[in-house]
Amino acid sequence: MNGGGLSSRAIVARIITIVIFAILVLRLGYIQLIDDRYAGLSAKNYLREVVIYPPRGEIYDRNGELLAQNRLCYDVAIVRKDMPKEGFDTTMVSELVGMSREAVVKKLEQSPYRRESRLTRYPITVEQKLLLDEMNIGGFYTTQRTVRQYPRKIGGNLLGSINEVTQEKIDKDSTYAVGDYIGMEGLELAYEDVLRGEKGVVLQDIYAPQPDRNKVLSEAVAGKSIVCTIDAGLQQLAEELMKGKVGAVVAIEPSTGEILTMVSSPTFNPDELVIGRERGNNYAREIENPRMPLWNRAVKSRYPPGSTFKVVTGLIGMQEGVLRPHYTYTCEMGYHKDGEHIGCHEHRSPLDMNFAIATSCNAYFCYVFRNILENKRKYEISKDGFEAWREYVLSFGFGRKLESDFLGEGAGYVPTREFYDERYRKSWNALTLLSLSIGQGELGCTPLQMANLAAIVANRGYYYIPHIVRQIEGQDSLDARFYKRQYTNVAPKHFETIVSGMWRGVNKDGNCKGARLEGYDVCGKTGTAQNPKGADHSTFISFAPRNNPKIAIAVYVEHAGFGKDMAVPIASLIEEQYLTGKIARRDLLSYVKHTKIDYPMYTKKKKK
Amino acid sequence: MAYEHRGKSTSLFGSVDKVTLLLYLLLTLVGVLAVFSASWVEGAENVMSFTHNYIKQITFLIVSLIVGVVIMLLERSLWHKIAYYLYGVAILALVATLLFGHTVNGATAWFEFGPIRLQTMELAKIAIALATARLMSEYNFSIKSFKSLAKVAMLLIVPLFITYMQNDTGSGLVLCSFILMLYREGLNKWICIPIIFIAVLFLLSFLYSPMVLLVSLILVFTLSACFANNNWKQGVMYLAALFGGSTLLFLIFNVAQSFSVSYYTILLVSTLLSLIGVSIYAYRERMRSVLIMVALAVASIIITPTSNALFNILKPHQQDRIMTYLGKTDDASLNYNVRQSKIAIGSGGFFGKGYLQGSNIRYGLVPEKHTDFIFCTIGEEFGFFGTMVVLGLMFAFILRLMRMGDRQRETFGRVYCYIVASILLFHTLINVGMTIGLVPVMGIPLPLISYGGSSLLSFSIMIFIALAFDAQTARNI
Repeated sequence: MNGGGLSSRAIVARIITIVIFAILVLRLGYIQLIDDRYAGLSAKNYLREVVIYPPRGEIYDRNGELLAQNRLCYDVAIVRKDMPKEGFDTTMVSELVGMSREAVVKKLEQSPYRRESRLTRYPITVEQKLLLDEMNIGGFYTTQRTVRQYPRKIGGNLLGSINEVTQEKIDKDSTYAVGDYIGMEGLELAYEDVLRGEKGVVLQDIYAPQPDRNKVLSEAVAGKSIVCTIDAGLQQLAEELMKGKVGAVVAIEPSTGEILTMVSSPTFNPDELVIGRERGNNYAREIENPRMPLWNRAVKSRYPPGSTFKVVTGLIGMQEGVLRPHYTYTCEMGYHKDGEHIGCHEHRSPLDMNFAIATSCNAYFCYVFRNILENKRKYEISKDGFEAWREYVLSFGFGRKLESDFLGEGAGYVPTREFYDERYRKSWNALTLLSLSIGQGELGCTPLQMANLAAIVANRGYYYIPHIVRQIEGQDSLDARFYKRQYTNVAPKHFETIVSGMWRGVNKDGNCKGARLEGYDVCGKTGTAQNPKGADHSTFISFAPRNNPKIAIAVYVEHAGFGKDMAVPIASLIEEQYLTGKIARRDLLSYVKHTKIDYPMYTKKKKK
Repeated sequence: MAYEHRGKSTSLFGSVDKVTLLLYLLLTLVGVLAVFSASWVEGAENVMSFTHNYIKQITFLIVSLIVGVVIMLLERSLWHKIAYYLYGVAILALVATLLFGHTVNGATAWFEFGPIRLQTMELAKIAIALATARLMSEYNFSIKSFKSLAKVAMLLIVPLFITYMQNDTGSGLVLCSFILMLYREGLNKWICIPIIFIAVLFLLSFLYSPMVLLVSLILVFTLSACFANNNWKQGVMYLAALFGGSTLLFLIFNVAQSFSVSYYTILLVSTLLSLIGVSIYAYRERMRSVLIMVALAVASIIITPTSNALFNILKPHQQDRIMTYLGKTDDASLNYNVRQSKIAIGSGGFFGKGYLQGSNIRYGLVPEKHTDFIFCTIGEEFGFFGTMVVLGLMFAFILRLMRMGDRQRETFGRVYCYIVASILLFHTLINVGMTIGLVPVMGIPLPLISYGGSSLLSFSIMIFIALAFDAQTARNI
């Protein structure tokens, strides 16, 4: 030792100590204070983001009855590292969740660490979840979510269904993730944005899953419920009436454009296509049915409108000035001219327009049609006249989509000048197209468009765009387009004569007297549409009462013969139910319900 | 200055260095708290049961304090007398452990006496420290004599070899820390520096390619020589000649295409040849520092390519640990420990998550959280503040031990105190360093804090002997 001071070696020894501690302090300062990665990594160590699925918005009918609601269910996730190494009963688990034991074991082997792995493809029920909880095996975790339930079991095509979102959709829309549910078809698809709500995210403590400790990153927002325009009772009646028949029924409230009933027959039970083990089989069954229940005829099919279209021909004639209601024409069991022949049934002749509508005279409207097209004062050639006619037809909502809120709406078809130029090598005239006058030929209309025609006549010249939703939770109004009157190119003053013809057809001496309802002034027009596939289609458009109409309806029954045979009673029963609240004609009801139409054309398996 | 308020008290306990004793008590208290936190399970029953680690730790602390009091009552000359015998017993115990010991984590380093398990090397360290101190205080011992140094080396190599055989080299490497004490005792710095330098180079050689290392070595040594002699012109000329010549040779060989030689080989051979010239020049010019540089450079260049061969001497799990440390392994389970440890400490922030609130600790995400990785508990729950307090206490404690050594009047006591300080410094560096990814994972505890009876007891004995030396020195003034 050298006196009181320290040797230089002793000082250096201290300096070395200081340097070593300084290195540790700097490093600790860096990782504890500066490098902020560790807080995140630490959180990842024991926290995980758990998606909270919001309940989907419910769907009510116009009277507040539930059409679609939610059922609680659970996704089961498994984490093998949290499971007991042995000593739990895989057989019991497999029986509980309804999988084969091998499938369960395989699944367990595939999912060692991450919780994303679901044990079952479909969620399990509350009962299954409780049983699983009771078994109390580590490593099984359940996530609450909901699947649909359709308590009325009606309106399959109308309501649509829910399924797991496809990868294609996920790639396009980042709001979706694997395992999310999404609306397919129908209302569920059309109002997906409103119904789905917003998923929430919660930070969950992996090792101590206590709900009160979880930190909510974003709250789940429940989907908004919607009130649709459908009358559940009427929908159910219409579906029952259409049983055994192929076709469609669409009923609209003319004063609002609200769709009261929309049936595509055959229909299916939406409850059978709810996500679950049965969905696959049920879906396959429906898709293999040659009558194509999943095809929504009400908005997609193109049917020839038949005689119901005479209403439009008459209105265009009047607007064009080539027809006055008092004009009379002779019908000699049809219309014959230059080798063209359109037959008609036996009735008084000559006749004016009022009776021509009531009795559905073919010849009368052939005259009107030719006069429209061959109006030399206005059109040089009848092809120009045809184009003018076509414009009128489009203004009635034919040949184009109506822009309703229902996705998958078809446009129907109204042929164009070019179409005929090509078909007839430019050599055609009004005579060639004569069958258009009575709604035959190349015309194709959806039942929705036909019901809309009924509404136009009921309103005397305008319609509201038909829509399926009446009210969305939290929204004061719907899209502005649903509140705007859509006028046709025919002046409202011309409609009253047509209305009176339609009234006469039902209530006096027409061919649809079966639609008569005492005290309700039902107006209607039948149609019997010829088609190349088989028997005529039976169709009927109608509205009632004559003044202040409450309901406009179109019924289309494929291959059911005359309009009055099948379409009239169906429409009439629906109107009776809607207007009087009950059905007095029990025999008719029973007869219609139990009538099955033979469809040889649908027995073949669909070609692939 | 070291004697201000000494000598006033003549009783043994009155002359104990109270600051050191207080630091000791604080560190052990921190240890008990940390062990409690690391072992405590929410809602566990029988909080006071002896099966709990923290109860065991408290028990060991009480035993340590009793042993401490006994040590204080013993004459310091006793330790001098029995130092060699203790060393002999320690070596026998180590060998016995190797043969009959209990294996934990692959290391056969434990002896079981009923319920108590002791790590032999922990206790053997005391004997080795005493024996080394005695050897170095012999009258014929000279720090400058090769023979004397060889004796010290023998004293250390025997237990080091046994721990290697036990698969517990980590504990044995503690003996490397004696270099600090040897330096304090006057060991030639040109022996100290190369040893440290080569150890560092050994680790770096795994990180970088030989080419990078060779170029770095050439630059470092040339520039150091320039700096030492304040002669930059010669250095730059040497570098230009070396690299220019090598490049020229490389081109000649490869253009001729007679046989291909890598640039590395040419540069290596040129450098070694040039060093012959440099050393002759330096010898004539009496440039001692350049000569030393040359020797170091040659050693480094030989070490670099052979480190892989040296590496293979290590046991597989040690190789793994080093590779993990160097980030050269993709094995997630090997990286896991260090990663989790860093996450726990790093997520502590400034004030930590609060006592018993460290999630990574609670959920058992940090391995060995109560023993070797106890520092994670402190880091996560008390944050930077906590780690600074612990490091501060340890720092003060080590400086205090050095101070106690410096005021010893005999070499025996001084060497001994410095050995204790060196061991504590080494343990702190390695243990804290491994938890924050600075050094490879070696299974050595944080002194006085990590859970473990043999560790706490042996450090306590070691420290109380130093305290006794100091107190008795004070009394004898």
